[in-house]
Amino acid sequence: MSKPLSLGFGLGLRPVYYRELLESRPNVDWLEIITENYLVPGGRPVAMLERMRADYPIVMHGVSMSLASTDPLDIDYLKALKKLADRIEPRWISDHLCWTGVHGVNMHDLLPVPYTFEALQHVVDRINRVQDFLGRRIAIENASTYVTFHESEMDEWTFVREMAERADCWLLVDVNNIYVSAFNHGFDERQFVEAIPAERVAQLHLAGHSDAGTHKIDTHDQPICADVWKLYERVCRQFGEVSTMIERDDNFPPFHELVAELDRARSIYAAVVHSREETAA
Amino acid sequence: MTLAELQERFQAGILSEEAIAPRFVADSKKTNAETLFAVYHNAYRLRLAEFLSNDYPVLRNYLEDEDFGSLVEAYILAAPSRVRNARWYGARLPEFMGTYARLENDAQAIDLARFERALADVFDAADESRLSIDALANIDVERWPKISFKFHPSYELLDLAIGTATLYEAVRDGQELPLIDEGEERVLFWRSSDHQSCYRLVSPDERLALIEASAGKSFAEICSLLQFQGSGENVAARAGEFLTQWFAAGIISCLALDD
Repeated sequence: MSKPLSLGFGLGLRPVYYRELLESRPNVDWLEIITENYLVPGGRPVAMLERMRADYPIVMHGVSMSLASTDPLDIDYLKALKKLADRIEPRWISDHLCWTGVHGVNMHDLLPVPYTFEALQHVVDRINRVQDFLGRRIAIENASTYVTFHESEMDEWTFVREMAERADCWLLVDVNNIYVSAFNHGFDERQFVEAIPAERVAQLHLAGHSDAGTHKIDTHDQPICADVWKLYERVCRQFGEVSTMIERDDNFPPFHELVAELDRARSIYAAVVHSREETAA
Repeated sequence: MTLAELQERFQAGILSEEAIAPRFVADSKKTNAETLFAVYHNAYRLRLAEFLSNDYPVLRNYLEDEDFGSLVEAYILAAPSRVRNARWYGARLPEFMGTYARLENDAQAIDLARFERALADVFDAADESRLSIDALANIDVERWPKISFKFHPSYELLDLAIGTATLYEAVRDGQELPLIDEGEERVLFWRSSDHQSCYRLVSPDERLALIEASAGKSFAEICSLLQFQGSGENVAARAGEFLTQWFAAGIISCLALDD
Protein backbone atom coordinates (compact mmCIF):
# COMPACT_ATOMS: atom_id res chain seq x y z
CA MET A 1 0.00 0.00 0.00
CA SER A 2 1.61 3.24 -1.09
CA LYS A 3 -0.23 6.47 -0.50
CA PRO A 4 -0.45 9.15 -3.21
CA LEU A 5 2.71 11.16 -3.78
CA SER A 6 2.58 14.69 -2.41
CA LEU A 7 1.24 17.30 -4.79
CA GLY A 8 2.76 20.09 -2.71
CA PHE A 9 0.72 23.06 -1.48
CA GLY A 10 -2.71 23.81 -2.91
CA LEU A 11 -5.87 25.82 -2.51
CA GLY A 12 -9.58 25.16 -2.68
CA LEU A 13 -10.89 26.20 -6.09
CA ARG A 14 -13.52 28.89 -5.51
CA PRO A 15 -15.17 31.02 -8.24
CA VAL A 16 -13.98 34.24 -6.60
CA TYR A 17 -10.39 33.24 -7.42
CA TYR A 18 -10.88 31.87 -10.95
CA ARG A 19 -9.31 34.89 -12.61
CA GLU A 20 -6.18 35.01 -10.44
CA LEU A 21 -5.58 31.30 -10.80
CA LEU A 22 -5.79 31.46 -14.57
CA GLU A 23 -4.06 34.78 -15.21
CA SER A 24 -1.42 35.31 -12.55
CA ARG A 25 -0.06 31.75 -12.39
CA PRO A 26 0.49 31.99 -8.63
CA ASN A 27 2.64 29.73 -6.54
CA VAL A 28 -0.13 27.18 -6.07
CA ASP A 29 0.71 23.56 -6.83
CA TRP A 30 -2.73 22.00 -7.04
CA LEU A 31 -6.43 22.63 -6.54
CA GLU A 32 -9.16 20.91 -4.56
CA ILE A 33 -12.72 21.25 -5.80
CA ILE A 34 -15.94 20.86 -3.83
CA THR A 35 -17.28 18.01 -5.94
CA GLU A 36 -20.94 19.01 -5.66
CA ASN A 37 -20.27 22.45 -7.15
CA TYR A 38 -19.36 20.73 -10.40
CA LEU A 39 -22.07 18.08 -10.40
CA VAL A 40 -24.21 20.35 -12.52
CA PRO A 41 -25.24 19.75 -16.12
CA GLY A 42 -22.94 22.36 -17.71
CA GLY A 43 -22.18 26.04 -18.06
CA ARG A 44 -19.42 28.13 -16.54
CA PRO A 45 -18.55 25.90 -13.55
CA VAL A 46 -17.83 22.89 -15.72
CA ALA A 47 -16.05 24.99 -18.38
CA MET A 48 -13.83 26.63 -15.75
CA LEU A 49 -12.96 23.29 -14.22
CA GLU A 50 -11.87 22.03 -17.64
CA ARG A 51 -9.60 25.07 -17.99
CA MET A 52 -8.17 24.69 -14.48
CA ARG A 53 -7.34 21.04 -14.92
CA ALA A 54 -5.16 21.92 -17.87
CA ASP A 55 -2.93 23.94 -15.50
CA TYR A 56 -3.29 22.30 -12.09
CA PRO A 57 -3.64 18.77 -10.66
CA ILE A 58 -7.16 18.42 -9.28
CA VAL A 59 -8.47 16.62 -6.20
CA MET A 60 -12.20 16.05 -5.69
CA HIS A 61 -13.54 16.72 -2.19
CA GLY A 62 -17.20 15.89 -1.59
CA VAL A 63 -19.73 16.66 1.11
CA SER A 64 -22.59 14.33 0.16
CA MET A 65 -21.38 10.76 0.52
CA SER A 66 -22.97 10.61 3.97
CA LEU A 67 -20.87 7.61 4.90
CA ALA A 68 -22.21 7.31 8.45
CA SER A 69 -25.88 7.72 7.55
CA THR A 70 -28.24 4.82 8.09
CA ASP A 71 -30.06 5.76 4.88
CA PRO A 72 -29.06 3.66 1.87
CA LEU A 73 -26.01 4.87 -0.05
CA ASP A 74 -27.05 7.32 -2.74
CA ILE A 75 -26.12 5.35 -5.83
CA ASP A 76 -27.20 8.13 -8.18
CA TYR A 77 -24.74 10.43 -6.41
CA LEU A 78 -21.98 7.86 -6.69
CA LYS A 79 -22.69 7.40 -10.39
CA ALA A 80 -22.52 11.17 -10.95
CA LEU A 81 -19.33 11.33 -8.89
CA LYS A 82 -17.74 8.54 -10.92
CA LYS A 83 -18.75 10.17 -14.17
CA LEU A 84 -17.17 13.47 -13.12
CA ALA A 85 -14.05 11.65 -11.91
CA ASP A 86 -13.75 9.81 -15.23
CA ARG A 87 -13.84 13.18 -16.97
CA ILE A 88 -11.66 15.21 -14.59
CA GLU A 89 -9.21 12.45 -13.60
CA PRO A 90 -8.62 13.71 -10.04
CA ARG A 91 -5.54 12.54 -8.17
CA TRP A 92 -7.89 11.22 -5.50
CA ILE A 93 -11.41 11.58 -4.14
CA SER A 94 -12.29 12.44 -0.56
CA ASP A 95 -15.29 12.95 1.70
CA HIS A 96 -16.00 13.18 5.43
CA LEU A 97 -16.53 10.99 8.44
CA CYS A 98 -20.07 12.19 9.00
CA TRP A 99 -23.68 11.80 7.97
CA THR A 100 -25.75 14.45 6.20
CA GLY A 101 -29.29 13.27 6.91
CA VAL A 102 -31.71 10.37 7.16
CA HIS A 103 -35.14 9.61 5.70
CA GLY A 104 -34.14 11.23 2.43
CA VAL A 105 -33.58 14.65 4.00
CA ASN A 106 -30.33 16.48 3.33
CA MET A 107 -29.31 18.68 6.24
CA HIS A 108 -26.43 20.14 4.19
CA ASP A 109 -24.14 19.73 7.17
CA LEU A 110 -21.44 17.36 8.34
CA LEU A 111 -23.30 15.78 11.26
CA PRO A 112 -21.43 14.08 14.11
CA VAL A 113 -20.98 10.34 14.47
CA PRO A 114 -21.24 8.51 17.79
CA TYR A 115 -17.99 6.62 18.23
CA THR A 116 -19.58 3.22 18.78
CA PHE A 117 -18.63 -0.20 17.47
CA GLU A 118 -21.90 -0.31 15.55
CA ALA A 119 -21.13 3.00 13.82
CA LEU A 120 -17.58 1.88 13.11
CA GLN A 121 -18.72 -1.30 11.36
CA HIS A 122 -21.40 0.63 9.50
CA VAL A 123 -18.96 3.26 8.22
CA VAL A 124 -16.34 0.68 7.29
CA ASP A 125 -18.91 -1.35 5.30
CA ARG A 126 -20.01 1.73 3.42
CA ILE A 127 -16.48 2.94 2.65
CA ASN A 128 -15.76 -0.53 1.29
CA ARG A 129 -18.84 -0.39 -0.92
CA VAL A 130 -17.98 3.08 -2.19
CA GLN A 131 -14.38 2.07 -2.90
CA ASP A 132 -15.61 -1.01 -4.77
CA PHE A 133 -18.05 1.10 -6.76
CA LEU A 134 -15.48 3.75 -7.66
CA GLY A 135 -12.71 1.22 -8.18
CA ARG A 136 -10.27 3.25 -6.08
CA ARG A 137 -9.35 4.03 -2.50
CA ILE A 138 -10.89 7.20 -1.14
CA ALA A 139 -9.64 9.57 1.57
CA ILE A 140 -11.81 10.26 4.61
CA GLU A 141 -11.62 13.50 6.56
CA ASN A 142 -12.11 14.00 10.28
CA ALA A 143 -14.89 16.58 10.69
CA SER A 144 -15.13 19.36 13.25
CA THR A 145 -17.74 18.43 15.84
CA TYR A 146 -19.57 20.42 18.47
CA VAL A 147 -21.24 17.68 20.51
CA THR A 148 -20.27 14.33 21.97
CA PHE A 149 -22.62 11.45 22.70
CA HIS A 150 -23.06 9.47 25.90
CA GLU A 151 -23.27 6.43 23.60
CA SER A 152 -19.67 6.73 22.35
CA GLU A 153 -17.50 3.74 23.21
CA MET A 154 -14.11 5.01 22.02
CA ASP A 155 -12.18 8.19 21.29
CA GLU A 156 -12.46 9.90 17.93
CA TRP A 157 -8.85 9.07 17.05
CA THR A 158 -9.36 5.40 17.86
CA PHE A 159 -12.44 5.39 15.65
CA VAL A 160 -10.58 7.12 12.81
CA ARG A 161 -7.59 4.81 13.02
CA GLU A 162 -9.74 1.66 13.16
CA MET A 163 -11.88 2.92 10.30
CA ALA A 164 -8.85 3.56 8.10
CA GLU A 165 -7.28 0.19 8.87
CA ARG A 166 -10.44 -1.87 8.47
CA ALA A 167 -11.70 -0.09 5.34
CA ASP A 168 -8.18 0.17 3.92
CA CYS A 169 -8.80 3.80 2.96
CA TRP A 170 -6.68 6.95 2.96
CA LEU A 171 -7.09 9.73 5.50
CA LEU A 172 -7.50 13.42 4.88
CA VAL A 173 -6.36 14.95 8.15
CA ASP A 174 -7.90 18.35 8.75
CA VAL A 175 -5.57 20.11 11.17
CA ASN A 176 -8.07 22.83 12.00
CA ASN A 177 -10.78 20.24 12.67
CA ILE A 178 -8.54 18.43 15.14
CA TYR A 179 -7.90 21.75 16.88
CA VAL A 180 -11.60 22.76 16.93
CA SER A 181 -12.80 19.37 18.17
CA ALA A 182 -10.02 19.18 20.77
CA PHE A 183 -11.04 22.57 22.13
CA ASN A 184 -14.76 21.75 22.06
CA HIS A 185 -14.41 18.35 23.70
CA GLY A 186 -11.40 18.97 25.91
CA PHE A 187 -8.97 16.42 24.51
CA ASP A 188 -5.28 16.83 23.79
CA GLU A 189 -4.81 17.24 20.04
CA ARG A 190 -1.42 15.53 20.28
CA GLN A 191 -3.18 12.31 21.23
CA PHE A 192 -5.19 12.51 18.02
CA VAL A 193 -2.17 13.18 15.82
CA GLU A 194 -0.07 10.45 17.40
CA ALA A 195 -2.82 7.87 16.92
CA ILE A 196 -3.15 8.42 13.19
CA PRO A 197 -1.26 5.97 10.95
CA ALA A 198 1.07 8.20 8.91
CA GLU A 199 1.18 5.75 6.02
CA ARG A 200 -2.53 6.39 5.38
CA VAL A 201 -2.47 10.20 5.42
CA ALA A 202 -2.93 11.29 1.81
CA GLN A 203 -3.76 14.94 2.41
CA LEU A 204 -3.91 17.73 4.97
CA HIS A 205 -6.42 20.55 5.30
CA LEU A 206 -5.72 23.91 6.90
CA ALA A 207 -8.41 26.49 7.61
CA GLY A 208 -9.60 29.19 9.96
CA HIS A 209 -12.45 29.02 12.44
CA SER A 210 -14.65 31.25 14.60
CA ASP A 211 -14.46 31.50 18.35
CA ALA A 212 -17.76 31.43 20.28
CA GLY A 213 -16.06 31.52 23.68
CA THR A 214 -17.15 28.19 25.09
CA HIS A 215 -16.67 26.48 21.74
CA LYS A 216 -15.11 27.03 18.34
CA ILE A 217 -16.88 26.68 14.99
CA ASP A 218 -15.29 25.50 11.76
CA THR A 219 -16.35 28.38 9.53
CA HIS A 220 -13.48 28.61 7.00
CA ASP A 221 -13.92 32.38 7.03
CA GLN A 222 -10.86 33.47 9.00
CA PRO A 223 -7.11 33.30 8.61
CA ILE A 224 -5.45 30.23 10.09
CA CYS A 225 -4.78 30.99 13.76
CA ALA A 226 -1.44 30.69 15.57
CA ASP A 227 -2.49 27.54 17.48
CA VAL A 228 -3.42 25.75 14.27
CA TRP A 229 -0.10 26.72 12.68
CA LYS A 230 1.60 25.26 15.75
CA LEU A 231 -0.39 22.06 15.42
CA TYR A 232 0.43 21.96 11.71
CA GLU A 233 4.13 21.97 12.58
CA ARG A 234 3.56 18.95 14.82
CA VAL A 235 1.56 17.26 12.07
CA CYS A 236 4.43 17.84 9.62
CA ARG A 237 6.84 16.18 12.02
CA GLN A 238 4.46 13.26 12.46
CA PHE A 239 3.36 12.65 8.86
CA GLY A 240 6.22 14.02 6.76
CA GLU A 241 5.58 15.15 3.20
CA VAL A 242 1.85 15.23 2.52
CA SER A 243 -0.24 17.24 0.05
CA THR A 244 -1.48 20.27 1.98
CA MET A 245 -4.14 22.82 1.10
CA ILE A 246 -6.04 25.75 2.58
CA GLU A 247 -9.82 25.86 2.61
CA ARG A 248 -11.44 29.27 2.49
CA ASP A 249 -15.19 29.43 1.96
CA ASP A 250 -16.33 32.85 3.12
CA ASN A 251 -15.09 36.35 3.95
CA PHE A 252 -12.68 35.88 1.06
CA PRO A 253 -9.43 37.82 1.42
CA PRO A 254 -7.46 39.23 -1.52
CA PHE A 255 -5.91 36.31 -3.34
CA HIS A 256 -2.35 37.28 -2.44
CA GLU A 257 -3.19 36.94 1.26
CA LEU A 258 -4.29 33.35 0.73
CA VAL A 259 -1.15 32.63 -1.26
CA ALA A 260 0.87 34.18 1.58
CA GLU A 261 -0.80 31.75 4.02
CA LEU A 262 0.13 28.92 1.69
CA ASP A 263 3.72 30.16 1.65
CA ARG A 264 3.69 30.09 5.43
CA ALA A 265 2.66 26.43 5.32
CA ARG A 266 5.54 25.80 2.91
CA SER A 267 7.98 27.51 5.27
CA ILE A 268 6.80 25.54 8.28
CA TYR A 269 7.14 22.27 6.42
CA ALA A 270 10.58 23.29 5.10
CA ALA A 271 11.73 24.17 8.62
CA VAL A 272 10.59 20.77 9.90
CA VAL A 273 12.51 19.03 7.11
CA HIS A 274 15.57 21.19 7.77
CA SER A 275 15.50 20.46 11.48
CA ARG A 276 15.20 16.73 10.76
CA GLU A 277 18.20 16.86 8.44
CA GLU A 278 20.25 18.69 11.04
CA THR A 279 19.29 16.16 13.68
CA ALA A 280 20.19 13.29 11.34
CA ALA A 281 23.54 14.92 10.53
CA MET B 1 -29.83 3.10 21.26
CA THR B 2 -29.06 2.12 17.69
CA LEU B 3 -27.24 4.38 15.24
CA ALA B 4 -30.46 4.73 13.23
CA GLU B 5 -32.43 5.84 16.30
CA LEU B 6 -29.76 8.32 17.30
CA GLN B 7 -29.66 9.85 13.84
CA GLU B 8 -33.43 10.04 13.59
CA ARG B 9 -33.70 11.87 16.92
CA PHE B 10 -30.73 14.14 16.24
CA GLN B 11 -32.16 15.19 12.89
CA ALA B 12 -35.64 15.68 14.33
CA GLY B 13 -34.10 17.95 16.96
CA ILE B 14 -32.51 20.12 14.29
CA LEU B 15 -35.68 20.27 12.20
CA SER B 16 -37.76 21.16 15.24
CA GLU B 17 -38.42 24.89 15.67
CA GLU B 18 -37.03 24.87 19.19
CA ALA B 19 -33.40 23.90 19.76
CA ILE B 20 -33.73 21.21 22.42
CA ALA B 21 -30.74 18.92 22.66
CA PRO B 22 -31.56 15.21 22.61
CA ARG B 23 -30.80 13.52 25.94
CA PHE B 24 -27.96 11.52 24.44
CA VAL B 25 -25.96 14.70 23.74
CA ALA B 26 -23.40 15.33 26.48
CA ASP B 27 -22.37 18.59 28.13
CA SER B 28 -18.79 19.69 27.53
CA LYS B 29 -16.47 20.89 30.27
CA LYS B 30 -17.08 24.47 29.16
CA THR B 31 -20.78 24.56 28.37
CA ASN B 32 -24.01 22.62 28.27
CA ALA B 33 -25.45 20.31 25.63
CA GLU B 34 -28.15 22.86 24.67
CA THR B 35 -25.56 25.44 23.63
CA LEU B 36 -23.56 22.92 21.64
CA PHE B 37 -26.57 21.35 19.95
CA ALA B 38 -27.72 24.85 18.97
CA VAL B 39 -24.65 25.12 16.73
CA TYR B 40 -26.22 22.48 14.45
CA HIS B 41 -29.73 23.84 14.89
CA ASN B 42 -28.69 27.36 13.90
CA ALA B 43 -26.29 26.30 11.16
CA TYR B 44 -29.06 24.37 9.41
CA ARG B 45 -31.26 27.46 9.11
CA LEU B 46 -28.43 29.83 8.30
CA ARG B 47 -27.10 27.55 5.59
CA LEU B 48 -30.45 27.05 3.84
CA ALA B 49 -31.20 30.77 4.13
CA GLU B 50 -27.83 31.47 2.51
CA PHE B 51 -28.66 29.14 -0.38
CA LEU B 52 -31.90 31.06 -0.97
CA SER B 53 -30.23 34.46 -0.66
CA ASN B 54 -27.63 33.40 -3.21
CA ASP B 55 -30.28 32.24 -5.67
CA TYR B 56 -32.68 35.15 -5.17
CA PRO B 57 -30.61 38.28 -4.44
CA VAL B 58 -32.94 40.63 -6.33
CA LEU B 59 -36.07 39.18 -4.73
CA ARG B 60 -34.39 39.66 -1.36
CA ASN B 61 -33.77 43.35 -2.11
CA TYR B 62 -37.29 43.76 -3.45
CA LEU B 63 -38.98 42.25 -0.40
CA GLU B 64 -36.39 43.72 1.99
CA ASP B 65 -34.81 41.75 4.78
CA GLU B 66 -37.79 41.35 7.09
CA ASP B 67 -40.25 40.00 4.51
CA PHE B 68 -37.61 37.94 2.73
CA GLY B 69 -36.52 36.56 6.11
CA SER B 70 -40.09 35.52 6.95
CA LEU B 71 -40.49 33.88 3.54
CA VAL B 72 -37.22 32.00 3.92
CA GLU B 73 -38.13 30.88 7.43
CA ALA B 74 -41.51 29.59 6.23
CA TYR B 75 -39.97 27.82 3.24
CA ILE B 76 -37.31 26.14 5.36
CA LEU B 77 -39.95 24.96 7.82
CA ALA B 78 -42.25 23.70 5.06
CA ALA B 79 -39.60 22.21 2.81
CA PRO B 80 -36.64 20.37 4.35
CA SER B 81 -34.06 19.83 1.65
CA ARG B 82 -34.30 16.59 -0.27
CA VAL B 83 -31.79 17.59 -2.89
CA ARG B 84 -28.18 16.52 -2.84
CA ASN B 85 -26.90 19.81 -4.17
CA ALA B 86 -27.61 23.16 -2.51
CA ARG B 87 -27.96 24.53 -6.00
CA TRP B 88 -31.47 23.10 -6.30
CA TYR B 89 -32.79 23.71 -2.81
CA GLY B 90 -34.59 26.90 -3.78
CA ALA B 91 -36.10 25.55 -7.00
CA ARG B 92 -39.58 25.42 -5.53
CA LEU B 93 -39.54 28.84 -3.86
CA PRO B 94 -41.62 30.60 -6.57
CA GLU B 95 -44.22 27.81 -6.37
CA PHE B 96 -44.17 28.02 -2.58
CA MET B 97 -44.73 31.79 -2.69
CA GLY B 98 -48.02 31.11 -4.45
CA THR B 99 -49.23 29.28 -1.35
CA TYR B 100 -47.64 31.59 1.22
CA ALA B 101 -50.32 33.79 2.71
CA ARG B 102 -48.20 36.95 2.93
CA LEU B 103 -47.24 36.86 -0.74
CA GLU B 104 -49.78 34.71 -2.56
CA ASN B 105 -51.42 37.75 -4.16
CA ASP B 106 -48.16 39.51 -4.99
CA ALA B 107 -47.79 38.47 -8.62
CA GLN B 108 -44.81 40.77 -9.09
CA ALA B 109 -42.84 39.17 -6.28
CA ILE B 110 -43.72 35.67 -7.43
CA ASP B 111 -42.75 36.43 -11.00
CA LEU B 112 -39.57 38.17 -9.88
CA ALA B 113 -38.70 34.88 -8.17
CA ARG B 114 -39.53 32.94 -11.35
CA PHE B 115 -37.34 35.35 -13.30
CA GLU B 116 -34.36 34.80 -10.99
CA ARG B 117 -34.98 31.07 -10.95
CA ALA B 118 -34.79 31.02 -14.74
CA LEU B 119 -31.49 32.94 -14.70
CA ALA B 120 -30.07 30.41 -12.24
CA ASP B 121 -31.28 27.45 -14.30
CA VAL B 122 -29.83 28.93 -17.46
CA PHE B 123 -26.46 29.44 -15.77
CA ASP B 124 -25.60 25.75 -15.44
CA ALA B 125 -27.95 24.07 -17.89
CA ALA B 126 -26.37 21.31 -19.95
CA ASP B 127 -23.83 22.17 -22.62
CA GLU B 128 -24.60 21.47 -26.23
CA SER B 129 -23.35 22.63 -29.61
CA ARG B 130 -24.79 25.82 -31.15
CA LEU B 131 -25.38 26.33 -34.84
CA SER B 132 -24.77 29.54 -36.71
CA ILE B 133 -27.10 30.65 -39.45
CA ASP B 134 -24.58 29.28 -41.92
CA ALA B 135 -26.01 25.85 -41.12
CA LEU B 136 -29.01 26.79 -43.28
CA ALA B 137 -26.75 27.33 -46.27
CA ASN B 138 -26.05 23.61 -46.37
CA ILE B 139 -29.74 22.85 -46.93
CA ASP B 140 -31.48 23.39 -50.27
CA VAL B 141 -33.88 26.30 -50.03
CA GLU B 142 -36.80 24.20 -51.28
CA ARG B 143 -36.35 21.93 -48.26
CA TRP B 144 -36.41 24.75 -45.70
CA PRO B 145 -40.14 24.37 -45.00
CA LYS B 146 -39.40 20.91 -43.62
CA ILE B 147 -36.65 22.03 -41.26
CA SER B 148 -37.30 21.59 -37.57
CA PHE B 149 -35.15 22.82 -34.70
CA LYS B 150 -33.64 21.50 -31.52
CA PHE B 151 -33.04 24.21 -28.94
CA HIS B 152 -30.05 24.61 -26.65
CA PRO B 153 -30.72 23.09 -23.18
CA SER B 154 -30.46 26.55 -21.60
CA TYR B 155 -33.48 27.79 -23.59
CA GLU B 156 -36.41 28.79 -21.40
CA LEU B 157 -39.51 30.85 -22.21
CA LEU B 158 -41.68 32.32 -19.45
CA ASP B 159 -44.93 34.25 -19.40
CA LEU B 160 -44.59 36.76 -16.57
CA ALA B 161 -46.53 39.68 -15.16
CA ILE B 162 -45.91 42.69 -17.33
CA GLY B 163 -42.97 44.77 -16.12
CA THR B 164 -41.15 41.89 -14.41
CA ALA B 165 -37.97 42.33 -16.45
CA THR B 166 -37.96 46.09 -15.86
CA LEU B 167 -38.64 45.55 -12.18
CA TYR B 168 -35.77 43.06 -12.00
CA GLU B 169 -33.38 45.58 -13.55
CA ALA B 170 -34.59 48.42 -11.34
CA VAL B 171 -34.15 46.44 -8.13
CA ARG B 172 -30.81 44.99 -9.26
CA ASP B 173 -29.48 48.45 -10.12
CA GLY B 174 -31.01 50.25 -7.14
CA GLN B 175 -33.24 52.42 -9.36
CA GLU B 176 -36.74 53.70 -8.69
CA LEU B 177 -39.32 50.94 -9.07
CA PRO B 178 -41.44 51.13 -12.23
CA LEU B 179 -45.22 51.36 -12.22
CA ILE B 180 -46.70 48.02 -13.15
CA ASP B 181 -49.62 47.47 -15.52
CA GLU B 182 -51.87 44.47 -15.62
CA GLY B 183 -51.14 41.91 -18.29
CA GLU B 184 -48.34 39.60 -19.33
CA GLU B 185 -44.96 39.83 -20.93
CA ARG B 186 -42.98 37.05 -22.49
CA VAL B 187 -39.33 36.60 -21.63
CA LEU B 188 -36.84 34.37 -23.41
CA PHE B 189 -33.88 33.14 -21.32
CA TRP B 190 -30.75 31.46 -22.58
CA ARG B 191 -27.03 31.15 -21.91
CA SER B 192 -24.62 32.74 -24.36
CA SER B 193 -21.57 30.95 -25.71
CA ASP B 194 -19.41 32.89 -23.21
CA HIS B 195 -21.47 31.51 -20.30
CA GLN B 196 -23.53 34.59 -19.56
CA SER B 197 -27.18 34.18 -18.53
CA CYS B 198 -29.21 36.28 -20.97
CA TYR B 199 -32.83 37.33 -21.41
CA ARG B 200 -34.96 39.51 -23.65
CA LEU B 201 -38.61 40.30 -24.12
CA VAL B 202 -40.28 38.67 -27.10
CA SER B 203 -43.36 39.73 -29.05
CA PRO B 204 -46.55 37.61 -28.98
CA ASP B 205 -45.87 36.19 -32.44
CA GLU B 206 -42.26 35.33 -31.62
CA ARG B 207 -43.52 33.63 -28.48
CA LEU B 208 -45.81 31.46 -30.59
CA ALA B 209 -42.99 30.70 -33.00
CA LEU B 210 -40.69 29.73 -30.12
CA ILE B 211 -43.30 27.47 -28.56
CA GLU B 212 -43.92 25.73 -31.88
CA ALA B 213 -40.26 25.50 -32.82
CA SER B 214 -39.20 24.17 -29.44
CA ALA B 215 -41.95 21.54 -29.71
CA GLY B 216 -40.31 20.25 -32.90
CA LYS B 217 -42.69 21.81 -35.43
CA SER B 218 -41.31 22.44 -38.91
CA PHE B 219 -40.63 25.88 -40.36
CA ALA B 220 -43.70 25.46 -42.61
CA GLU B 221 -45.90 24.63 -39.61
CA ILE B 222 -44.57 27.63 -37.70
CA CYS B 223 -45.36 29.87 -40.69
CA SER B 224 -48.87 28.39 -40.96
CA LEU B 225 -49.55 29.15 -37.32
CA LEU B 226 -48.24 32.69 -37.65
CA GLN B 227 -50.46 33.13 -40.71
CA PHE B 228 -53.45 31.82 -38.77
CA GLN B 229 -52.64 34.18 -35.89
CA GLY B 230 -52.56 37.12 -38.30
CA SER B 231 -48.89 38.04 -38.19
CA GLY B 232 -49.02 40.12 -41.34
CA GLU B 233 -48.79 39.19 -44.96
CA ASN B 234 -45.23 38.00 -45.24
CA VAL B 235 -45.06 35.47 -42.43
CA ALA B 236 -42.10 33.65 -43.97
CA ALA B 237 -40.05 36.85 -43.76
CA ARG B 238 -41.23 37.41 -40.18
CA ALA B 239 -40.34 33.83 -39.22
CA GLY B 240 -37.03 34.34 -40.97
CA GLU B 241 -36.33 37.34 -38.74
CA PHE B 242 -36.97 35.20 -35.69
CA LEU B 243 -34.67 32.48 -36.95
CA THR B 244 -31.90 34.96 -37.60
CA GLN B 245 -32.14 36.17 -34.00
CA TRP B 246 -32.25 32.65 -32.60
CA PHE B 247 -29.14 31.61 -34.48
CA ALA B 248 -27.37 34.82 -33.45
CA ALA B 249 -28.22 34.18 -29.78
CA GLY B 250 -26.94 30.61 -30.08
CA ILE B 251 -30.11 28.87 -28.97
CA ILE B 252 -30.37 26.51 -31.95
CA SER B 253 -28.39 23.34 -31.32
CA CYS B 254 -29.51 21.14 -34.16
CA LEU B 255 -31.54 21.12 -37.36
CA ALA B 256 -33.57 18.18 -38.61
CA LEU B 257 -35.30 17.59 -41.91
CA ASP B 258 -38.71 15.98 -41.74
CA ASP B 259 -38.51 14.08 -45.06
